[in-house]
This record gives sequence, C-alpha cells and structure tokens, in this order.
Amino acid sequence: MGRPRGFDEQAVTAAAAGLFAGRAYDGVSVDDLVQQLGVHRNSLYKTFGSKRGLYLAALRWHLEHRLPSLTEQLAAGAAVADDPTLDLLLLAAVERAPSDVEVAALVAKAWQTLDQALQRAPATPADPPASTALNALLGERLRARAATASAGPS
Amino acid sequence: MATVRVDGDDLVVEIEGMDRLWSLKSRLVIPLANVRGATADPGIAAEPKGLRAPGTSVPGVITAGTFHQDGERVFWNIRDGARAVVIELADERYARLVVEVADPAATVALIEQAVPR
Repeated sequence: MGRPRGFDEQAVTAAAAGLFAGRAYDGVSVDDLVQQLGVHRNSLYKTFGSKRGLYLAALRWHLEHRLPSLTEQLAAGAAVADDPTLDLLLLAAVERAPSDVEVAALVAKAWQTLDQALQRAPATPADPPASTALNALLGERLRARAATASAGPS
Repeated sequence: MATVRVDGDDLVVEIEGMDRLWSLKSRLVIPLANVRGATADPGIAAEPKGLRAPGTSVPGVITAGTFHQDGERVFWNIRDGARAVVIELADERYARLVVEVADPAATVALIEQAVPR
C-alpha cells in the first residue's frame, strides 16, 4: 500500500524522544515534528497513527535504550541527579501520565526499575539531611500524581 | 465544521450545515477498532491535498470531499484549518479524515480514550 516509508523509524523515534524531553507535549506541534524530524506529515500519520502514537513510541524507545545505562550507574552507586536521561520521564510523569493510562503504566514501570537499581546500590554515606525530606516529599507527590490515570477515571 | 462523537463501538463524524453539500457527504461511521488515533494539527491546512474527486476546493476558503494522494484516499472538511483534527484509520475506505471541529483538544481526548491500545 502506498509508498515505502523511506525513513529510519528507529532514528525518527529517537529524535522525537529528544524533542519531547525538551519541551511540553502541547508545545510540540505536528509542524515542529515534520520539520525537526524531517519526515513527511502523511508518513508520520501512516507510521505512528497520531502525535500520541509517536510520543508513546518515543517514550518506549527511551525506556528501552536510554534508561538501562542510567540504572546501571545507579546500581553502582553513582550520582545521577544531573543526568538529563530522567527529563523525558519527569515530563511524562507531570504532564501525560495523569491523563493517559498508557503513559502512566510506562512511567510506573520505569519507577520500579529505578527503585530496584537503588536497592542494589551500595549504602550511601550519610545523606545531606536538610534536603532529604523535601526531596522525598516532591518525589512522592510526583509519583502519586502520575499514578492517578491508572488508578481510575478522574 | 464537523461534530465527532462515539456511539457504541463506532466513531461518528457528522458534517454540519452547508459543508455537507461541498463535501457531498453528511456522515461517516467508522468502527472504533479501525481508528488508530487523532491529532490536533492546524498546520495540515498548508499541505498539498492531492487530487480532488469528488468534492470542492477553493484555496483559502474550503477544502471538502475526497482527495487522492500517494495512493491514499483522504477525506477533508476544513475551512481555514485552525481547528483541524487528523483522524488516522486502518482498513477503511479513507486512510485518514481531516476535519474541522469546535474543540480540537476535546475531540482528540475523546478519541484517545475511546480507542483501545
């Protein structure tokens, strides 16, 4: 049916993950995607079905290809708070997960992977006590909010 | 302008007012199983539409009816396209529908929630 795709789906998906990590979902228009990914509009729709379809593919690609090296570092006890690998996941948790069951499930799975990596990590020498409680609070709120889509209708 | 609603297992797209004359169609019923997704896409109005048959096209005023491009059949019903929503289909007469709706974000949310995946 129609023309062959004529583009590297993996590369486009990876580039989309980069775009979505840097800007709000609604801030990325189809015009932006067409221009920055260098793919024809019709091909985008044909391949991914919708902007959401491309977003889900990008998020899945990111979790499969980018998250593992981060979890390895975490398990080895490295500090990764400055690592931008978490950005797409954070944006997904804040923006999309509360209203998109599919995104909520992917985000929950990623949290689980990160939790497990942290459990394998060697015990850290005395956390700085001042920031720990706030960090925990922010993290807990983030996770609670991202889980609302999977918990039931809002 | 079109209204999009979910009726049981179907997506129903109804063309309103005079626009149904221009597009020679007043109603499309698509099983939800054949709906791949929906996207608000005001920029699509600027894209080439391909060959029209049958329907109406007055550039800058109205694009309505069936258009053929790259071996695909696409149903258009837009005026300026600012509120265009693209509905991608599978195993249907049309590869996709490009219709103008009152509230693109609400229409996209409706379709995304209705389409299982």
